[in-house]
Amino acid sequence: MGAVTTLLAARNLQKVYGDVIALAGINFEVSEGVTGLLGANGAGKSTAIKLFLGLIKPTSGTAEVLGVDAASTVEIRARLGYMPEHDCLPGNVSAAEFLTHMAELSGLPPNYARSRAADTLRHVGLFEERYRAMGGYSTGMKQRVKLAQTLVHDPVLVLLDEPTAGLDPGGREEMLTLIKRTGDEFGISLMLSSHLMGDIERTCETIIVLDAGRVVEVGPVTSFTEETEAIAVEVDENREELITALKERGVEPLIDGSSIVIEGVIGDQYDLIRDALVAANAPLRRMAPRRHELTEIFERNGE
Amino acid sequence: MTISQAGQTGRTGEVFDIGYRNYEGPREGRPRARRTVYKEGIRIALGIGRGGWAKIMPWAFIVAAAIPALVLALIAGTVDRLTGGLGDEVIDLPSHGDYYGIASIIFLIFAAAVGPELLCPDRRDRVINLYLVRPITGTDYILARWAAFLTIMTLVAWLPQFVLLAGLALGAENPATYIQDNWADIPRFLASGFTLALYVTGISLAVASFTTRRAYAAAFIIGIFVISLPFAEGLSSDIGGKVGQYLSLLNFSQIPLLMNDIIFNEENLATEDTLATQLPKLTQIAWYAFMTIGPFLLMWRRYWKITP
Repeated sequence: MGAVTTLLAARNLQKVYGDVIALAGINFEVSEGVTGLLGANGAGKSTAIKLFLGLIKPTSGTAEVLGVDAASTVEIRARLGYMPEHDCLPGNVSAAEFLTHMAELSGLPPNYARSRAADTLRHVGLFEERYRAMGGYSTGMKQRVKLAQTLVHDPVLVLLDEPTAGLDPGGREEMLTLIKRTGDEFGISLMLSSHLMGDIERTCETIIVLDAGRVVEVGPVTSFTEETEAIAVEVDENREELITALKERGVEPLIDGSSIVIEGVIGDQYDLIRDALVAANAPLRRMAPRRHELTEIFERNGE
Repeated sequence: MTISQAGQTGRTGEVFDIGYRNYEGPREGRPRARRTVYKEGIRIALGIGRGGWAKIMPWAFIVAAAIPALVLALIAGTVDRLTGGLGDEVIDLPSHGDYYGIASIIFLIFAAAVGPELLCPDRRDRVINLYLVRPITGTDYILARWAAFLTIMTLVAWLPQFVLLAGLALGAENPATYIQDNWADIPRFLASGFTLALYVTGISLAVASFTTRRAYAAAFIIGIFVISLPFAEGLSSDIGGKVGQYLSLLNFSQIPLLMNDIIFNEENLATEDTLATQLPKLTQIAWYAFMTIGPFLLMWRRYWKITP
């Protein structure tokens, strides 16, 4: 495969279904690391993934995977992993047997496939349960098998479609940790499609935002969540008194959920905030530079 | 080594987390993927790697298909002793050419019950979506599954014929002479068994490609065979003549038996009263080809452009 640093590339990629434009000639590149594909339902995320997997042909443009046009060959899929959003596991087969089969389907000889299946199940924390029929697994365990089947053949890139869908908070936390570990420790690049900003913020280094079939933002996640010149203050009590005290000192605070936000803080204003806190007798819980939030991307583009 | 032994020798074990290791072994791509789908199809058809219930049905049918051959073989082996050496003159034992006429219903039910298992669960559980994101196409998948079931059906069709051959040969005064005199039956029953397998594999998998429920597919396939028999035979004998002969072709359970008659160049017990046998052989062959290729194309089309 050589030193391919661009793993995925959409070049004027367009997909039209009848009168519906699913993707409107988009351009972006995905490099090594964990990339988030963020967008609301119908934004074109699943269509983009199907195009990169070569499952559908583009109306125009190309979807390149590891330097190859995905529509031209199925062989490239031997180096990709894909985790669909919905259930896709047979209930009457054990995880070990299923993963061995999936590894062979990706081109690994049977002996290697068996060994890789056991190793991969260990990495996702299912080694002890590997000989149990998957019909008896919990939702979280099934999600881990779904992730394991994407890794069993040691792919270069894994595409995850809504990997936390249907999980409870504990299961979601486990899955996000596992995804982060896959990127950081296993050295496998991932593209994570989600409509949940928290998932993207938590796991991804780079983000591609799709909206109505168009790319609206591309860049490092940190550039969207970088510090602003505003200070966010949170107190345990006497919130109203603090707002009054700030106003008396010529500071116009903004309210953002549980935070009191003071914009354009420079020099002496830190002293003013300190004095206001003392005057209002408000116990300080948190005071930190405010960060942008990913939700602002959509607010910005909706304007 | 026990803990005390370890203490005595001063050697202790340590467990290391070797972490994630990249795979550096061979990658055999699409050919391996196709072979895997084929191999898995064979395993599913025989219930290998599945629970007890999944094994019972295919093996029960295999045994059931072989039983008539075993009974005939036993009769052939003892008939001379029972009739004082006049076996052939006293009892007209069914031959290789008659066998599928006697046992074809078992093969049809086997195909109806087992064939859908190769396709329906993959679509019902949506495992097909994981197949198609690997280095195979929908065509690769369906051809491999079709080839797997054709292999099983062919072997299941041949097995009782070999049992019968062994029985007839061992029952003869001189088995070597029997084989020498009747060797031509071997390629005939191999060919006939294959045409039967080809036919039922196509119909079974074509029906299975339209539903995710194995039971619906099985019921529909058995329905095709069971309902068409009285319908076509009743109608064709009532109307008679050329039209009756053509209507007789609609007896779907008889179609592979028409090929059997052509291959053995004689009518078997099940087709003695079938009007379709009076049609030109080319017409019978064309109808068989249509009823074999048609379902195959239908099934292939269902998977040709399938996407998750």
